[in-house]
Amino acid sequence: MPLDTSSYALAHLRLDGRRWNELRRLHAQTSTQAAADGSSYLEMGNTKVICTVAGPAESRKGGGGGGNAEAKIEVEIGIAGFSGVERKRRGKGDKRTSEMRHTIASAFSANLFAHLYPHSTITVNLHVLSQDGSLLAACLNATTLALIDAGIPMSDYIVACTAGSTASYASNDEDADPLLDLNGLEEQELPFLTVGTLGAGEKVSVLIMETRMQMTRLEAMLAAGVDGCRQIRSILDGVVRAHGKAVLDSAIS
Amino acid sequence: MPPQSSTALPLSPAELSYLHTSLSFDPPIRPDGRTATQFRPLIAETDVLPSANGSARICFADGTEAVVGVKCEVERSASDRSILRSKEDDVRRLGTGGGDEEMRDESSGGEDDEVGNGSKGREEGRNEWVEMAIEIPGYRDDDALPVFLSAMITEALISDGELKNRLYINRRFHWRLYIDILLLSSPLSYPLPLLSLTTHLALLRTRLPALVSEKDEDPHFNDDWEAATLLYPQSDQRTTRPPVTLLVMSVGDNIIFDPSKDELAVADAVLTVSIGQTPSSGIRLLSVRTVDPPSRLTAPGVSNSTNSANGDTAPSMQEALMLRETMDEHSLWRPPRGGMKRALAGRMIKMVVEKGGVGEEVLEGLEGVDK
Repeated sequence: MPLDTSSYALAHLRLDGRRWNELRRLHAQTSTQAAADGSSYLEMGNTKVICTVAGPAESRKGGGGGGNAEAKIEVEIGIAGFSGVERKRRGKGDKRTSEMRHTIASAFSANLFAHLYPHSTITVNLHVLSQDGSLLAACLNATTLALIDAGIPMSDYIVACTAGSTASYASNDEDADPLLDLNGLEEQELPFLTVGTLGAGEKVSVLIMETRMQMTRLEAMLAAGVDGCRQIRSILDGVVRAHGKAVLDSAIS
Repeated sequence: MPPQSSTALPLSPAELSYLHTSLSFDPPIRPDGRTATQFRPLIAETDVLPSANGSARICFADGTEAVVGVKCEVERSASDRSILRSKEDDVRRLGTGGGDEEMRDESSGGEDDEVGNGSKGREEGRNEWVEMAIEIPGYRDDDALPVFLSAMITEALISDGELKNRLYINRRFHWRLYIDILLLSSPLSYPLPLLSLTTHLALLRTRLPALVSEKDEDPHFNDDWEAATLLYPQSDQRTTRPPVTLLVMSVGDNIIFDPSKDELAVADAVLTVSIGQTPSSGIRLLSVRTVDPPSRLTAPGVSNSTNSANGDTAPSMQEALMLRETMDEHSLWRPPRGGMKRALAGRMIKMVVEKGGVGEEVLEGLEGVDK
């Protein structure tokens, strides 16, 4: 059990030594690939994701079937065979992968200024190198960075993270704490949700939950998740600004 | 990053003719000023994936990038043979026929194991224990490109016949080697050399946990990763290194290595040469394959004399044909026809395989990564 009751109840420390409201180490880089229009590399703990963006480019089907007034966003996710502990080959038509792709595509369709690029397609390619929890959240964050690197305008960052609850059964556990940023082991055992916000405020643009739990815990989890997103946004913003400064410095000197 | 069109602009006949002419000089003049045997600088790093047995990442100078992860899992061998092995003579007499060569190998290997013959006591492996998967963005798994690339790289890997033997644990268990190759950027140029170099580097650094159990009991391994052994042990002088596949092209009489996309567009002939290396006996040629050069797909240029847009009348079919055949080849681009001279192919292979040649240079360079 990732939340061995003895250690958590005594010291309120999770298995990896974090408290309930601490994020894992978040490391992000933009412009990691010279051949792509925009690219990024993101690590949330041990979950590593590479994102490349191509576009906006002309739609291959000549007009996109009916003259779209705005750009279409296509997302491809490739989960590598070596990403989990056991080697497992996942096909592209996998249900979970399709759902993730649809979630990411619709989240960004609403956020990007796609009306500036009619009749074109923006292709996002995500490669998952290692999975250890928070996969959808890491994909959303990496996509945000790559789209910014590609120069596609958007109203604000879409940042995401996971939040869970320590009460794993339908117990009337009043002290059940919400947990922020679950790792792989915790995701397997505890109920959790992935929440994505638009910027640092409270505008939730993505909310996915696949496990079951009591309604009363939802509010606390959501609050913890939104707070975590705020922290992540400031980290990602720092990364983007640092990269921009480096580019400007090298251009001026 | 400035937007690049995902479908590259085709080169015009004038550009093709210019490239072809400058590459046919002696020495060839390449668009980026390299010599014929000079490779572009690349970035290579190993052990990028801590959860894999071995991994590598290589970025070429044109921005294409590949990551390879090698994972090994213990698998139970088809243990029906252990029943057969108790009656070795019966197995031979059962006459598995000429067809199933591997079964004969296994049974003879097992029999020798029991009898304890020193000379043929090698543990035999099977080639199916190596599995490879290539992912290229924009291509499905059953498209031609990933399938061909996978076949070419696997063929070079198992051609020395020794890799599979190192995957043998005991008669009931063996290692299954999974090689997952990811091309991270869309293939701007033929991706085979990039994928092959990255696979070579990943395999060079692949480690297997140290075996602690003995003989045929359930395999147990040392928990300490520091005690893990390399799949391609460096100290053993007899083991071959993992193979490498190089792309070599020719224009006229010139042989050019590491061609860029533009240079491939005007190639007369393209070969992929796979080499392996034993530290004691040098470079060994494993396979040579011809690749249809992309120049054949390019439409020929139209000369002014046959072009009706000039105001004259267009020539008839026969006249146009005759004009095209007799025209001087240096004035107009035409796709190459026919095959390549055997002597030229021989020279290309020799340049890769000889002592102090290109093959040695590449392998030495890769060995020096992360040391």
